Amino acid sequence: MSDDTMVAVYRHDAHKMNGQPHEYAPETFAGVPVNQTVPHGADGDASALSRPSGQPEQTVENHETLYRLSLIEGESRYDPQEFTRNGVEGAVQELLTEDDPETIHRMWLESDVVSAFNESVYYPYTSLKYHTLLVAALLDNYRAGHEFADLRLVVDDADEIVLHRTIYASEEFALRIDVDARGQPSARLGSRPWRSWASTWNRLTAHPLDTAHDKYDMVLDSNLRRIGAWSTALQSIEDFQGVFDQ
Amino acid sequence: MTRIQQVHWELEMDYIGHPYYVSGNAILHALDQHVPHDVHQHLQASHGMFVPGQFGTFPEEHSQSGIRPYLGSGLPDVESYDDLFLMRNPAQRWLLDSRPRDALNTHDIRPQSGHPTLSHETIMGKPEGVRKQQQTTKWYINAYLHADDPGALPLGEDVLEGLQFGGKRNYGYGVTRLKDTQVVDLDDLDYSRLEDGDTFLVEVTTPFVLESEYPSAADQDVPWWWKESRRDLREREEKILEQREVYRLQTVDHGQFVKYEGDRPVETAKSGILRVGTHSKYGFGELRVKPVDPRPDQCKNSEKNGKTTE
Repeated sequence: MSDDTMVAVYRHDAHKMNGQPHEYAPETFAGVPVNQTVPHGADGDASALSRPSGQPEQTVENHETLYRLSLIEGESRYDPQEFTRNGVEGAVQELLTEDDPETIHRMWLESDVVSAFNESVYYPYTSLKYHTLLVAALLDNYRAGHEFADLRLVVDDADEIVLHRTIYASEEFALRIDVDARGQPSARLGSRPWRSWASTWNRLTAHPLDTAHDKYDMVLDSNLRRIGAWSTALQSIEDFQGVFDQ
Repeated sequence: MTRIQQVHWELEMDYIGHPYYVSGNAILHALDQHVPHDVHQHLQASHGMFVPGQFGTFPEEHSQSGIRPYLGSGLPDVESYDDLFLMRNPAQRWLLDSRPRDALNTHDIRPQSGHPTLSHETIMGKPEGVRKQQQTTKWYINAYLHADDPGALPLGEDVLEGLQFGGKRNYGYGVTRLKDTQVVDLDDLDYSRLEDGDTFLVEVTTPFVLESEYPSAADQDVPWWWKESRRDLREREEKILEQREVYRLQTVDHGQFVKYEGDRPVETAKSGILRVGTHSKYGFGELRVKPVDPRPDQCKNSEKNGKTTE
């Protein structure tokens, strides 16, 4: 199996960062191929985890841009100074052109530039960063012969990063999509991809938050039990820890 | 005749307190000042679930159908068992896909002197675009009461009006107004989905208390008709406040599903509404029995598409 396929995953939605529809977007960015089709249906399955099926509809009035809205602050991270065409290209350059699979996976996990974009202009609270990491995790599992129905959301320690399968990493904990929980708390994703974040999170055998004593962790957990879209939920954990971490 | 009184309060001010729900204990405490003692001693209260007042559509298993404006801001008719649970799950599956459901269904948080405070309304829409009015979504608290003396219910609207929940009440936090109330007779409900089912899951709607520090409260094992052993269940610590004393509770955390091993699902469902286990008087141990849908075409949407573009 070539590593090129896994590198291509991180480049598959490059057009969403420069606001061009997929059909017209250039096939290369800074000399590397982008916007290529992801095999095994991993992109479609990841989309189904965060967006309703059928034709997309605009869900937020007055907001039809590629900049994400935050559940916490309600505002987009759009900054006209920073987000010029050249500014965006500069900011995402490394994320798209890096060609070592391990490095590119780490860079995406740590990037906050790419958190500024949504995975669909019609669903502005979704996150391009976590959509892309979900596509990579699904594809890597599918390529290893794992069926969706066998996949689990696994809670790992903060320093446990599994190549392409870790979908969230912070100083507190990491989350992974895998068939083998390796003794860690986990829950099955379900029989087919749908917006099942809250139900999967609810079924985890242990939550990585201090929901008995820490009021802020309880509030974060309370919100995580309310969210359907996977990329929105993962992004909201990142946003919450950024805003309220004391 | 087993009656419950559903109550729907609108939050008029931000709320500082338990973020998962207003506990049944807190609801009984708030009522204590408004209800005569001889009535109050018979009352039992559910936890009060937070519900956004939004457009919604009834999920398939409900007795009603169709899209309703501001479904979450009132109490729809209750004809079948499932109707009772429309607004008892934090995920609020009735919210419309055509709106930003996750943004409308999560709490806005305003830190107040170190406390995460839940906002009583969510305002969306751009201030500069005042051409259209900004959209405000209000938050409601959905709860129900029952009584071991049938004469104690229903409580009058006057005693349910203006209750205040949560902390920092002297500063005006947690004030509510009564939005809706109705009485439901559990014996009149349609339980046919349970009568027709073969296999069932039990949803732990509110935490089930295993151990309690409260004086002379009995420790509990999970009911025999759950397949799961305690070891396989996620636990969480809860607290009960009584006369300024804090008592810790070890609970099976809510939101989990367990397999149902019993053979009387309707009876189990009825007792699950009135709650089971220690401190059920205060909202703990609410359970929902759900038939497992044996639909064979469950995978019909999972055919692999090459990619999704827009």
